Amino acid sequence: MSLLRLEQVSVAYGAIRALHGVDLEVREGEIVSLLGANGAGKSTILRAVSRMLPLQGGDILLGGRSVRATPAHELVALGVAHVPEGRGIFPSLTVQENLALATWTRRERRHVEEATRRVFRLFPRLAERRTQAGGTLSGGEQQMLAVGRALMTGCRLLLLDEPSMGLSPLLVREVFRAFQEINAEGTTLLLVEQNAHMALKIAHRGCVLENGRIVLEGPAAELAGHPRVREAYLGEAGASSPPCPGTPGSSR
Amino acid sequence: METVVQQLLNAAQLGAVYALIALGYSMVYGVIRLINFAHGDIFMVGGFAGLLLALRFTWMPLWALMPLAMLLTALLGVAIERVAYRRLRQAQRMSLVITALGVGIFLENLVRLGVGPETRQIPSRMPTTPVAWLQDALGVSVTWDKLLIIFVSLALMALLWAVVHRTLLGTAMRAVADDKDVVPLMGVNLNRVIAVTFAIGSALAAAGGVFFGQAYSLDPYMGIDLGWKAFIAAVIGGIGSIEGAVLGSFLLAGVEVLTVAYLSSNLKNGIAFGLLILLLLIWPSGLLGRPASKKV
Repeated sequence: MSLLRLEQVSVAYGAIRALHGVDLEVREGEIVSLLGANGAGKSTILRAVSRMLPLQGGDILLGGRSVRATPAHELVALGVAHVPEGRGIFPSLTVQENLALATWTRRERRHVEEATRRVFRLFPRLAERRTQAGGTLSGGEQQMLAVGRALMTGCRLLLLDEPSMGLSPLLVREVFRAFQEINAEGTTLLLVEQNAHMALKIAHRGCVLENGRIVLEGPAAELAGHPRVREAYLGEAGASSPPCPGTPGSSR
Repeated sequence: METVVQQLLNAAQLGAVYALIALGYSMVYGVIRLINFAHGDIFMVGGFAGLLLALRFTWMPLWALMPLAMLLTALLGVAIERVAYRRLRQAQRMSLVITALGVGIFLENLVRLGVGPETRQIPSRMPTTPVAWLQDALGVSVTWDKLLIIFVSLALMALLWAVVHRTLLGTAMRAVADDKDVVPLMGVNLNRVIAVTFAIGSALAAAGGVFFGQAYSLDPYMGIDLGWKAFIAAVIGGIGSIEGAVLGSFLLAGVEVLTVAYLSSNLKNGIAFGLLILLLLIWPSGLLGRPASKKV
């Protein structure tokens, strides 16, 4: 069953069009990875879904219901959590406060306790750092906190924007293992990644974006074998040039 | 010795009023990075709300009158944010600052038109008898109203501290100060948190206004002078910091009162503003403020 559906979604930053009529479907229980170069519009898709950006055209359906007019904070109550690019930790709040704030829409004691246990089980390091200010954590710990915080909302759909950015290969593996576990526990993941290897390894399906359009999509294993993906994103087969150098840095 | 204690208590009373105003500057700056130049006038309106309530309901005790004045002023603060500031949140800083100045002038003239330009005093609802045990212990004559003003103000500040540091709402307010773009992703209604911040800041200013109207006097332009003083206090303490606003307020009031008592009342403002310049030269982000370094 489709949990999230984008229909002909267009988004612009001022006069610059970032997405041109994107269609995308994410089914319940899936991990879907979005691949593409810088500025291809991957982050923009996530920001459009979490309603941080207004739509210029098209519609976004969550469980069949349009959320086009839903403000960002209400989307959280509908089960969508977004881990933004750069993690978005509140630096002056402690780890515990960062986690607690995400229970704003779900304050029942049972949910808070269960979610806290789950987050500390997935990321034991956060439990050790409980009373430490978010800004004093290492990059990897901050990423864990950002993901843990998203889980505290009790989300059905988790949007992850470049979770591997700035992490050591070891930490990347640790974080991605947690993603698989989160998914196995029933949460649907929509993942934006530069690290195409890891992204396709854990995903069920993948999409490739170029210049604000989806140019390829299919099962992750198939995409990983596709010559175009192998050349452009997996760095194989004598990759000569990046796929779309025309739009530098327009993803933010 | 007696006079020193006496002067320190005077300073504490004035400092308490400064602090009640300074907290609003600091809190609003914390959440939307706006120096709300209308805040001194919100304090003034709060004082007049107390005056009008006291004149109209002569039977009403202070413990009912003050919360009512605080509530009315809180609504005013929320209305100002909603009508004048919200739609400018994404605009240039300067537009917002000019708007705040305009709102201040509007409030001054509104009160002058409605109540008149005269200096007024709120008929005292607090016991003005001397505190016997203080007289016996230290030999200083202090009236109950002064002591009450100091302690009720401190209690309000303690309450605010508890809200900011011990409740989820307070956590949200601090989160807005850290990174307001991420706050909606936590399911928190950003507009509501900002509105609550204005409400609390305005209510505290109103408490200061009611106290000031009893201890000293009210006039439609008092918010300018006192607003600047409280703003200075907030900056000295480190704007955005609650503890800083309180510390800065008592420090500034202490300097002012002692200058008047032992040097000259003409030097009062010169020394107060001089202190601001000096302190900011040494601590550019205030005594307890966070250094304005950009995080990478």
